[in-house]
Amino acid sequence: MAELSVSVNGELTAAQVDPRTLLSDYLRDHLGLTGTHVGCEHGYCGACTVLVDGASVRSCLTLAVQADGRSVDTVESLASNGELHPIQQAFKECHGLQCGFCTPGLLMSVLELAATNPGCGRDEIREHLSGNVCRCTGYHHIVDAVEAALNSVREQGDGS
Amino acid sequence: MAADQAPRYFGARVARRQDDRLLRGDGRYVADISPAGVLAAKFVRSDEAHAVVAGIDIEAASVAEGVKEVFVGEDFADNEIRCVSSYAGFQESAQPILALDRVRHVGEALAMVVADNEYVAEDAAELVVADLEPLPAAVDIDTALDVGCAPLHPGWRDNAFVRRRATTYGFNEASSSAPHRVSIELHNGRHSGVPIETRACVAEHDPGTGRFRLHTTTQIPHLIRAGLSWALGVPESLIQVIAPDVGGGFGIKAQLYPEEVACCLAARRLSRPVKWVEDRREHFVAAHHSREHRHSVTGYFDDDGTILALEADIAVDMGAYSVFPWTATMDGGMAMGILPGPYRIHEYSVSSTSVCTNKTPYGAYRGVARPAACFSIERLMDQIARHLGVDRVEIRNRNLLADGDYPWRSPSGLIYDSGSLVESLDAVLALGDLEGLLKRQADARTAGRLVGVGLAVFTEQTAHTTQEFKQRGVPIVFGYETAKVRLDASGTAVVSASIHDHGQGLETTLAQVAADRLGLDLEQIRVEYGDTEQVAYGAGTFASRSAVLAGGAVTKAADAVADTLRQVAAHMLEAAPEDMVVETGRVSVAGSPSQFLETTELCRLIYQRPERLPEGVEPHLEASRTYDAHPGTGAYTNAAHLASVEIDPLTGKTRVLSYAVVEDCGPMINPTIVEGQIFGGVAQGVGSALFEEFLYDEAGQPLSTTFADYLVPVMSDIPDFQVAHLQTPSPHTIGGLKGMGEGGAIAPGAVIASAVEDALSHLVGTVTVDRLPLTPERVLGYIDAANGNGTGP
Amino acid sequence: MKPPRFAYCAPQTLPELLEILSEAGDEAVVLAGGQSLLPMLNLRLAAPSHVIDLDRVPGLDRIDGANGCVEVGAMVTHRRMETDPVVAASAPLARCAAGFVGYRAIRNRGTVGGSVAHADPAAEWPIVLLALDGAVDLASVRGWRSVAAEDFFESVYTTAKRPDEVVTSLSFGSRFAHSWGFSEFQRRVGDFATVAVAVACVMESGEVAEARVAIAGVADRPVRCPEAEAALVAGSRSAASDAAAAARDSIEPISDIHGSSSFRKRLIYAETQRAALQALRANGAGADDG
Ligand SMILES: Cc1cc2nc3c(=O)[nH]c(=O)nc-3n(C[C@H](O)[C@H](O)[C@H](O)COP(=O)(O)OP(=O)(O)OC[C@H]3O[C@@H](n4cnc5c(N)ncnc54)[C@H](O)[C@@H]3O)c2cc1C
Ligand code: FES
Ligand code: FES
Repeated sequence: MAELSVSVNGELTAAQVDPRTLLSDYLRDHLGLTGTHVGCEHGYCGACTVLVDGASVRSCLTLAVQADGRSVDTVESLASNGELHPIQQAFKECHGLQCGFCTPGLLMSVLELAATNPGCGRDEIREHLSGNVCRCTGYHHIVDAVEAALNSVREQGDGS
Repeated sequence: MAADQAPRYFGARVARRQDDRLLRGDGRYVADISPAGVLAAKFVRSDEAHAVVAGIDIEAASVAEGVKEVFVGEDFADNEIRCVSSYAGFQESAQPILALDRVRHVGEALAMVVADNEYVAEDAAELVVADLEPLPAAVDIDTALDVGCAPLHPGWRDNAFVRRRATTYGFNEASSSAPHRVSIELHNGRHSGVPIETRACVAEHDPGTGRFRLHTTTQIPHLIRAGLSWALGVPESLIQVIAPDVGGGFGIKAQLYPEEVACCLAARRLSRPVKWVEDRREHFVAAHHSREHRHSVTGYFDDDGTILALEADIAVDMGAYSVFPWTATMDGGMAMGILPGPYRIHEYSVSSTSVCTNKTPYGAYRGVARPAACFSIERLMDQIARHLGVDRVEIRNRNLLADGDYPWRSPSGLIYDSGSLVESLDAVLALGDLEGLLKRQADARTAGRLVGVGLAVFTEQTAHTTQEFKQRGVPIVFGYETAKVRLDASGTAVVSASIHDHGQGLETTLAQVAADRLGLDLEQIRVEYGDTEQVAYGAGTFASRSAVLAGGAVTKAADAVADTLRQVAAHMLEAAPEDMVVETGRVSVAGSPSQFLETTELCRLIYQRPERLPEGVEPHLEASRTYDAHPGTGAYTNAAHLASVEIDPLTGKTRVLSYAVVEDCGPMINPTIVEGQIFGGVAQGVGSALFEEFLYDEAGQPLSTTFADYLVPVMSDIPDFQVAHLQTPSPHTIGGLKGMGEGGAIAPGAVIASAVEDALSHLVGTVTVDRLPLTPERVLGYIDAANGNGTGP
Repeated sequence: MKPPRFAYCAPQTLPELLEILSEAGDEAVVLAGGQSLLPMLNLRLAAPSHVIDLDRVPGLDRIDGANGCVEVGAMVTHRRMETDPVVAASAPLARCAAGFVGYRAIRNRGTVGGSVAHADPAAEWPIVLLALDGAVDLASVRGWRSVAAEDFFESVYTTAKRPDEVVTSLSFGSRFAHSWGFSEFQRRVGDFATVAVAVACVMESGEVAEARVAIAGVADRPVRCPEAEAALVAGSRSAASDAAAAARDSIEPISDIHGSSSFRKRLIYAETQRAALQALRANGAGADDG
């Protein structure tokens, strides 16, 4: 067993875990944060994407112990005071999700994109987000949503 | 009956109701469900395609840390999945829950470890040792059908589940007198829907009552209950099946699987909940495959390209077992029926063989056989055009069904109710800017680049019910759907439906329908589905039928409830019930709008002041109705697709540059949702066309068992779409609705093949693009052939 | 798909790490970004006794540039290679190649040291090292050594690194740094290359004086192609195509489900030509063909 203390969505969590425990399972099974989904456990689908210290990672390819002392953000961190995050809002308005299984991982990738490349156009959005597979939407509405989300992020940036 | 006021929600692009919870990460998928005391199951699977099971040693696994029990075939020998078609000559297969004396495909379950958690279950699974004595494997259609190949199931004559044929009376005459003919053989790679959520289930058994409860990733909860009832030998009253949020289905989750039965049996043996979450590697070998068709088609036509007769020989590689509830005949039968497509073809001769092989069993995938049928007929039209030197659009226009042709009885006996084929083709050429594309193609050619334009037209049978399914030889006739509408004392409504929403937005569209019928706000309606306790029966969500059938059932049930409102309001307002109109938030007297009762007040009165109800009216605002869209032959959606591609001449890599769709699915409840369905379908079709294939080696070993080897399209592979709609109502359905969930996925194979062929059409050699997916290596083979080097891939 | 059981430790210093490695035996592995190791564990293709996490060992994530050479710590991520100004200035080929590795989330965690230690024959970093005359620096309780890229990669997932050694850094030379080209065939964005080619040249008065052509995805290890290099040095007007043809004709590539040997020959031609043109165009040499 290994000691673990991780800040998850701003709250400190501590646990004893089998060191082989995947971060995805730690979040889902130990903390009950089932918003992070698991679709392949070998790094390709992106459903499990979370942020560790602000950078997107595959939680299925990260041991929980590797997150020791770090801060993890999951989809559950996005909405605040009951209000959807602007990225979530854009997905809702643009019909950027169907079954919703890929969505949490995708939102976390978009959150990173908005922080690092808010000026992306549609082609760059496609390129950047190609590590998040969606089987339902055909992507068009997702690209619409991300475009709208980046716009709103940019506007906020301009405003401040 | 018609609604009393113009619809507020029907046709509106309202945002989806479920999105909030899904976006917040509050969706509840099967893997998220862990009842107290739950155990984890892990299956040990065959690594041989065909073998005698000489023994399975579970000793070490049984005593491994955390293990509760290890089951083998013997333990569940009384149970099996057997899905029998009523077609003459059908050969039955019995799929064991865990293998008994034989395994028939890599991935077939041999043993089931039940342990404290997934980690230790997997540790123990590695300790199970199966003694498998390999037998020769029949890995492809020709090997399996070879007279020298031993039948894969006991008592079989050969390896065909069934062979069928049909010929119209005038076929011989028409074909033998035709001045021209063209033949092609077409191959579709084996692949499937591959949802991002793998399969999963949680089985619970209550020893006190004998009741089972199964949470499972399914599109068809009631049919799973029916199948479980047969497989477990337990009446349906003791089985509850719940499909909560489901992460994509596409048909793959529309079958009963052995793992579902195994988890129920294990839960009963152990008196503990048993949970299984399929891993992705298992998904590639144990979740049903689809799409692997081989068609030989010949078109007979006259000098101006009018088709005089069509001949087709269809073979489908159905894998090892007949699946519940479709049987192993579904794809072959569907292809036979729909292959003549949208054309005015009178004479038709067709044969079809459903072949049993040592591969993963074959189930439904979005479009069921229609992508292969569309690929065949549309490739044939392109070849006829080329043979006669006629334009591809022109050849289609000469043969497409036109307004005066409906209702059209196809040579396979389907009744096309209505459509707008010529208009949709016309419209897509404008929408996708054919002229501009051709100009760009010309410019590209001058620069030595390979750019091509492709198109296809098709008709999609949707919302077919009793009449159609009774001819398909299936054991359960999927006739109707059920909906229940209940208004409560607060004036809000619960709509329960037998369909399932795993992305299609039915939670929203059914609310739109009910809100209009009941004069409620969307927010006052909750739609529930996916639990067999909610409504009596129904088939579920597949085959582009849910909006039509569930929409119709909701309409009927809501109207019945509205009738009670009218009756009570009439009594209160001392008017005649037939003069009452249900409006937004109120029920009023026709022509005198100041005389009304608020719906909320009315609901409260009905439940809480029964003494004020008129004689004979019960304090009850609930109605359950079924709808089966008489006459049941289907509402025919049609569409035309136009795309352009660019091929890298050095590597064969093909990119889709543009993709336009004009679709006519009748009146749309929610156009945004319709568009989302189209886009999603097209992207999956692009996967079929360019990327996806389950490859096997000669020994039957699957080669595509990770996402590194089975390639699904990612965001940069799919272009922006252009979409437009026509809206020809069906004469057969409530509201004129037609289904459309599958359409997007039907044409892309045909369209992209057409575009690739077109991109090479200026080169010296003539090539026929006849095989999907169009991997770079295959395309390079076509380029070589077109350049006069080699013979193609 | 859960990892098998292993013992885990996260040493805090390099000596501690080396000590542990020397005692842990052949069944131990180090964990860097985990982007190759975790898939192997989840698929149970590896079952190490010990997993030794490098993350807490200081000093393994430095990027140092001096005299145009760059030394990159083993724990530097692909993402940092993509964004670091020193890398961009001194080893632009490396920066370009980094963008081809997987997706953003993979690049955020995966490391250059992990990539070369893992030695996937289709990976980018090994050919970048070969093209830039780079070397791999190794440490163990027995001391330090540096192995030229040429000698490091032995076969699939097999290198000259001994079990008790850890990769501490990679060094990229400066001679080849400024005339370079990189091209790869990926089925989809983020996929491993089917074939990838790195070209780097030493230019003298506008002529190619020396060239490196390194190719991934064609053999059990990354290979250099002397025939293609000679064609670039020969410097005809069609040097890029000559090099591409030479590479195609001299290499007998592997076959797998992503492409047969003959298909890979075509890819070798296409990608070598593109990479070579890019390298030559940067200097205005021999850029007519293509
Ligand atoms: C979806 C996906 C796509 C990918 N695409 C690509 C791609 O296109 N191109 C590409 O090159 N790679 C790709 N990768 C692999 C990725 O680049 C890995 O990051 C890299 O191969 C290994 O680096 P790591 O730091 O993650 O190493 P780890 O996974 O931690 O380790 C890999 C191996 O190297 C050993 N090791 C690691 N560091 C050291 C060290 N310092 N000293 C000694 N041994 C060490 C480990 O013991 C282990 O055996 C992809 C991976 C995934 C999951
Ligand atoms: S579950 Fe982690 S990438 Fe698919
Ligand atoms: S919405 Fe279903 S996978 Fe993306």
